Amino acid sequence: MAQATPSTPQIVPVKGMGPGFIPVTIVMTIINVAVALAVCYLPLDFLLPSESNPASDSAVSIDWLFKFMTVFGVAITVYVSGYVAYFAWVFRRRPDEDINTVGVPIHDAPKLEFWWTVLPTILLIILMALTIVAWKQIQFPTTAAALTTEVVAHQFYFEFRYPGMQGAVYSPKGEMHLPEGKPVKILVSSGEGDVIHQFWVPEFRLKIAAVPGMVTQLNLTPTRLGRYDITCSEYCGKNHSIMQAKLVVDTPADFDKWLAQARVTAAASGPAISLSGGVADTGKALFAQKCSACHSVAGGFDTKIVGPGLLHITDDPAHPKLVDGKAPTPEDIEEILVKGYVGPIGAMPNRQANGLSDADIANLVAYLVSLK
Amino acid sequence: MDVAAHPVEEHAAHDHIHPAPEGFIAKYVFSLDHKVIAMQYFVLGLLLMLIAGSFAELMRVQLWNPAGTFVQYQTFNQLFTMHGTVMVWLVLIPLVTGSLGNMVMPLQIGARDVAFPWLNMLSFWLIPVAALTLFASLLFPTGAPAAGWTEYPPISIQEGTGTVFYTLAIIIVGISSTLTGLNFLVTIFKMRAPGMTWTRMPLFTWATFATALINLFATVALSAALLALFLATAFNVPFFDPARGGSPVLYQHMFWFYSHPAVYIFILPAFGVISDVLPTFARKTIFGYKMIAFSSLAIAILGFTVWAHHMFPSGIAPWLQIPFMILTYIIGIPTGIKIFSWMATVWGGRIHFSTSMMYALAFIGTFSFGGITGVYLACVPVDLHEHGSYFVVAHFHYVVAGGAVTAFFAGFYYWFPKATGRLLSEKMGHLSFWLFMIGLTGTFMPMHWLGLEGMPRRYASYEVFAKAFPDAVFWNRVETASSFLMVLSVLFVAINIVVSLRSGRRAGNNPWGARTLEWMISSPAPYYNFKKIPIVLDKPYDFTQPLPYRNLDDPNQDPYPKPIEAVIPRRAPVAT
Repeated sequence: MAQATPSTPQIVPVKGMGPGFIPVTIVMTIINVAVALAVCYLPLDFLLPSESNPASDSAVSIDWLFKFMTVFGVAITVYVSGYVAYFAWVFRRRPDEDINTVGVPIHDAPKLEFWWTVLPTILLIILMALTIVAWKQIQFPTTAAALTTEVVAHQFYFEFRYPGMQGAVYSPKGEMHLPEGKPVKILVSSGEGDVIHQFWVPEFRLKIAAVPGMVTQLNLTPTRLGRYDITCSEYCGKNHSIMQAKLVVDTPADFDKWLAQARVTAAASGPAISLSGGVADTGKALFAQKCSACHSVAGGFDTKIVGPGLLHITDDPAHPKLVDGKAPTPEDIEEILVKGYVGPIGAMPNRQANGLSDADIANLVAYLVSLK
Repeated sequence: MDVAAHPVEEHAAHDHIHPAPEGFIAKYVFSLDHKVIAMQYFVLGLLLMLIAGSFAELMRVQLWNPAGTFVQYQTFNQLFTMHGTVMVWLVLIPLVTGSLGNMVMPLQIGARDVAFPWLNMLSFWLIPVAALTLFASLLFPTGAPAAGWTEYPPISIQEGTGTVFYTLAIIIVGISSTLTGLNFLVTIFKMRAPGMTWTRMPLFTWATFATALINLFATVALSAALLALFLATAFNVPFFDPARGGSPVLYQHMFWFYSHPAVYIFILPAFGVISDVLPTFARKTIFGYKMIAFSSLAIAILGFTVWAHHMFPSGIAPWLQIPFMILTYIIGIPTGIKIFSWMATVWGGRIHFSTSMMYALAFIGTFSFGGITGVYLACVPVDLHEHGSYFVVAHFHYVVAGGAVTAFFAGFYYWFPKATGRLLSEKMGHLSFWLFMIGLTGTFMPMHWLGLEGMPRRYASYEVFAKAFPDAVFWNRVETASSFLMVLSVLFVAINIVVSLRSGRRAGNNPWGARTLEWMISSPAPYYNFKKIPIVLDKPYDFTQPLPYRNLDDPNQDPYPKPIEAVIPRRAPVAT
């Protein structure tokens, strides 16, 4: 309670940095050096999956950055919490002390403040530089991809697609295969009318969102044979937590074998629509009704509305080497009409969404092939 | 007002003191008094904290086993959505800005109330309206919103009903928050006691000022985003539909433009609390007053420039990642300055281990830890791994529970005597502190390595992950068990409040020997706060100097305030 006669406070002086400051500092420094050595030289598999035996090139650079930050992060945490606890304890009010003892009135210490602003800034600048180097490697790889694959995310499964228009492999709810040691480009998109998902392979340390209306990509080189989990890491609805798939990294030979086998299987279950009875004029009317909002027939591939122009589609020199570098055959056109398309140039709904019967497809193909 | 109703000697020359309202409704329900409004915010906030906390406990029970069979998946999705939504908008914002800000800021600047008391009352009453709107979604068969507290389209649009209630409720919270921001800004600009220049303002008031800026300028962006989401959900307007020219990523930009600054809406007042509590219990002036005050402003301003760091793997252009990463790193610098200044404040003090001080000291550790994991998440390549995993959950719970809530409790134990006139039990306070800290560590620390190993957040079951990382089951059980300690801790706080209100010791004006203006008046503070408006001559924090105030209400004010001895009993001190 307020006293009638005010007593002035007693300042308790401090000698140097305070009792035991140097031993405490030494102990914390030893801990930090030990942690730093452990982080740099011991396997961190308990923190990061297969850290000691990385599964991709990106995992190597990302783990390196992680370790760099952990060395300094642990040191800062230990020093901050350690000094706070130690200062609070040595500068505690003693039981026999006057109630009105106060600390040394230090309002500031410009030199100290200068250094504790400048040193973290320098550390962050170094981190920035290291990050930008790693980021550039990951986002803009210099080696061209040996293989391009597509991942289409749906509620609640991943679909994988491999190059080759007629021989395209769709493996819905199946496994994704990649060859070891080859740079791959993975194009990620979300199915027609679907929601946002994320394609995450923790062992690769990479993830990217599958966003409706966009094609995103990951570039990496798998470096270790194995089976890995693919998991959706963006909330996508009721069954989000069971949206997983497997990624198998094969030797290039095994991969080629698997792909060839998958192509055979895909071809066997491939399109069974007879194209022979198609009538071009009926197709023309149908095209005007169902396709002309997105596709022009006034020009070649570059005459885009939403999708590419379709004049002389079967021998268009501007047609990109979208898939296997060949101009589309009537069967390729049919396949796109049946399955729709999701890929680097956009997205097109499949036959169910467009309401196309077998006869419609045959007529449209006949019409498109007739355009010269 | 009837001037004759109260004695003439209560008036200073130009003052105009209204009589306190009579009757329960005017006094406690539709009150215009900032202190009563603060307590209303507190009671509502604590109640909703227990509700949202119990949602979290149900989630933790679900995750005891990897198969997750305790509730259905969709129920789990609703639980984490409601937990996040209620905690962020209906617990943290009301507790930290509404309750502490309202209770303390006007007292600290020597004002009789906030600038617009009617607006203040409206701001409070919008919160229960928002809460009822949100919980009204339970009356519909599809139930509560289930798309996460961020409600990203298109999944939120797919969820439908819940999203409509969510958007309406949070728009109402936004209005309340904007009005509070406006009200506090005007109060701080116009109603400081004579002589209280900007560099003499207590640091909690500085932090409240920076927070009010964010409230006023960021919340409108959120309202725009939510309105767009509402129209998209309820009326099929194609803002976010790529097939009709919209973009789902647009929403994320708008949402995070507010929601990153929103983090600072809880954490800046927390910084303010720590900057006021530390000097009082260290019996030592705050170190680096100006740096702490200006770094609050710097953080508030920089906070507007970092939103896309929530979206690195969301399909934004790669070149856009680097500027956002750099800006995020820059925020680390003013934050570091604060942490170092607090350490320097503790150094060389005479520390009194009150409950409030325990929370404040622990805050420095838990918050800096949460800040450091924030640097990991800002680092683009590392974030490509960590994004959307439990590492993120661990990070923001360290910042929010280890930061904002811990600091809130520091402030709560500190200002409770001022609000009620009673002291809380220090024994129970220490118990609640240790339970909270052990619970916090046990719950959120293992989440770091679970996330790094590949456990995605918002998973109702993790069987596939548990096969890849068998320790996951053990750590999830540690988390579930620990999380109940935090609930226990909050229950102890509630019991402590009830017991202390009934039989706690009377606090007197200034139980801690603190030096800011709110401690110069009686506890609980009288209706009009200050009979005479004090005159301020200097910063409040120098314990070796006499109080820098003139014209105080109490003529016998001790110029060197000291703690009541028995309040902080290490052992009975020798009498002087």
